[in-house]
Amino acid sequence: MPIYLDHNAGSPLRVEAAAAISRLLADAGGNPSSVHRAGQRSRRMLEAARAQVAAIVGAEPRRIVFTSGGTESNNLAIFGAITAASRRRKIISSEIEHSSILAPLAELERRGFEVVRIAPDSDGRIDPARVLAALDGETALVALGLANSEVGTIQDLAPLASGCSKAGALLHIDAAQAVGRIPVDVAALGCDLMTLSGHKLGAPAGVGALYVRDYARIAPIIFGGPHESGVRAGTPNQLGAVAFGAATEAAINAMREESERIGSLTMSLLNRLRETIPGLRLNGPLAGRLPNTLNLTFPGVLGESMLIALDLEGVEVSMGSACAAGAVEPSHVLRALGRSVAGARSSLRISLGWDNTADEIDAVEAIIPAVWRRVAAAEPLSEASAR
Amino acid sequence: MKPRVLVAMSGGVDSSVAAALLREQGYDVVGVAMRLAPEPSVPVAKRRGTCCSHDDFEDARRVAERMNFPFYVIDLRADFAARVVDNFVSEYLGGRTPNPCVMCNREIKFDRLWSRARALNAEYVATGHYARIERGSDGMFHLLRAADDSKDQSYFLFTLGQDELARTIFPLGEMTKTEVRARARALGLATADKPESQEICFVPDGDYASFVERRSDPARLRPGSIIDGGGKRLADHAGVHRFTVGQRRGLGVASGERLYVREIRAELGEVVAGRREELDSSGLIANRVSLVDGSIASGGELSVEVKIRYRHRSIPATMRVDSLRRAEIRFASGGPAVTPGQACVFYRGEEVLGGGFIERAITEGRAN
Repeated sequence: MPIYLDHNAGSPLRVEAAAAISRLLADAGGNPSSVHRAGQRSRRMLEAARAQVAAIVGAEPRRIVFTSGGTESNNLAIFGAITAASRRRKIISSEIEHSSILAPLAELERRGFEVVRIAPDSDGRIDPARVLAALDGETALVALGLANSEVGTIQDLAPLASGCSKAGALLHIDAAQAVGRIPVDVAALGCDLMTLSGHKLGAPAGVGALYVRDYARIAPIIFGGPHESGVRAGTPNQLGAVAFGAATEAAINAMREESERIGSLTMSLLNRLRETIPGLRLNGPLAGRLPNTLNLTFPGVLGESMLIALDLEGVEVSMGSACAAGAVEPSHVLRALGRSVAGARSSLRISLGWDNTADEIDAVEAIIPAVWRRVAAAEPLSEASAR
Repeated sequence: MKPRVLVAMSGGVDSSVAAALLREQGYDVVGVAMRLAPEPSVPVAKRRGTCCSHDDFEDARRVAERMNFPFYVIDLRADFAARVVDNFVSEYLGGRTPNPCVMCNREIKFDRLWSRARALNAEYVATGHYARIERGSDGMFHLLRAADDSKDQSYFLFTLGQDELARTIFPLGEMTKTEVRARARALGLATADKPESQEICFVPDGDYASFVERRSDPARLRPGSIIDGGGKRLADHAGVHRFTVGQRRGLGVASGERLYVREIRAELGEVVAGRREELDSSGLIANRVSLVDGSIASGGELSVEVKIRYRHRSIPATMRVDSLRRAEIRFASGGPAVTPGQACVFYRGEEVLGGGFIERAITEGRAN
């Protein structure tokens, strides 16, 4: 069996989510908007799922909008907030966001909006003071990730809420990568909007959620029926939502145990790799990082080569930003952290999750150094490949 | 299971069948498609039958799924640009006519890809080339023409030496193209009836001159005059990279007789035009010579056949290789137009002895 260490790309389906899907398949209800009892039963299941998802971020269930995933949630947050705040023309974000934030911001820039992208420090931290300094009466939205998907850096975003509120700007937090891995609470963060993703915590891909504190401050981007508090038209993905709810509940129940167990497996792996691979570099901070995430620069090799070699040995990791078509650009996150193009090309992301075992990590601790030695000897980084 | 073999897959029928045959023979096949060309600057509609497009990769991926072996797309764009495309451009700017397929084989498929193969624990690299490798009783490897002479691609492979041949497999060497297509259909491969690719993969519209201009500093272009053998100016031209020795069309010279490009003097920006018979040569000098079996170099003068363009027949000649990896070739009888920059490949019957890159023609007497 391959050893799957790419949970930040998508976590395997949790047992509880699979069970919820099976139950729903056996009892496929009607449209939750329908009046009849089949519809009512569907609505109960959907609302139960909404409550489960809301609980993981300490939100009221009615503040949760189901979407098709993190990308839609970020798009709804950004375009929805901009449309509602019709006068304001400025958005503050950072250089290390996920493409589902960066691409909407680039689009808004093309439409004439001002976008400020705060640079991180060399560990990927965004200084809240720099965000606050950029805030003004023109700012419609501050959009930042809570935990970086590539390097795992956890941002200190709590200091932003009062400043945003005073300036009249909305605070949107992309917590897709954080929820289920660390405690997250909308009240403690004081955010207006928050993105959650299903498949990062063991639900299937294709479902996500957006927390919305005040529906008056976002406009829909998909038009149709009055579903989901009127901001997300379309019959919700019932199967996905129910699985999301079950996965979320399982993640809450297991979080303390899981984060300790996974954190210690991750540290063990890091320490073992540091002993066996001279010059190995951890990207991102040692503390203040998601407990499951290691972004490592392997000296003298192409990450692409290591990734394929590891896959052939049954160890599944990633380059951070995946592209199956093989045109892997050096990670914008690592570049923003000050890594060279060559360094970025030599880096891999290893992300653990709920289903990893100590035996698996023992095996990986032997496989990775052996593969690195072989790849480094066979295919040393050429000047051209590093360009 | 037999050893691991890394198969270079373009998404075309040849490499698809090569991979499928090896899988059937029990090899531990790992398929790779190489992303080589920079992002295409040519509209999709004009890109027909070229490799490196997303569709081609998906075709290769489907073959891998059907035959149940792992498949990856690997990014060799930077190496390809530095080691093949830059060379292509500077050869044209230098008044020569390069053969990028030879360079790609030498620099990418049998060097860069071989490093990757070792990194992935593969013992062999395989491609869909039509050529054969045989091991003699003396343990030496021999590179032979393909069984299907009309598809023979041994010309592009002359740079392979003993080390490369020892770890290379050409599964299609004994097959005809018709057999390959039939095999692809029998295996249910999606690529069975794909058209052949013809043009150079990174210049899909075939307009080499514009490509060279896009990729060059304008200061490196060498415009000048088209002159006759006596030095008389016949016309002006926009750059020597627009010409190739032996070319007739596009000279822009109004003349009663058919004129051909006879010589390109890149530093002077001069393109010398002449009549058909003035193109004839008695031999050529080739440089960067490589030999499949290096020991034949000590044999003094050798009788060989040479092929000086892929689509030409091979012609009898004598060859002498000096220690600077240069070879002097004398055609047995009057030779055709010799195009500097093209590969000159030495054969003896079925066997490739080696080859080099044409430096210049010998038109009379002995070369220096």
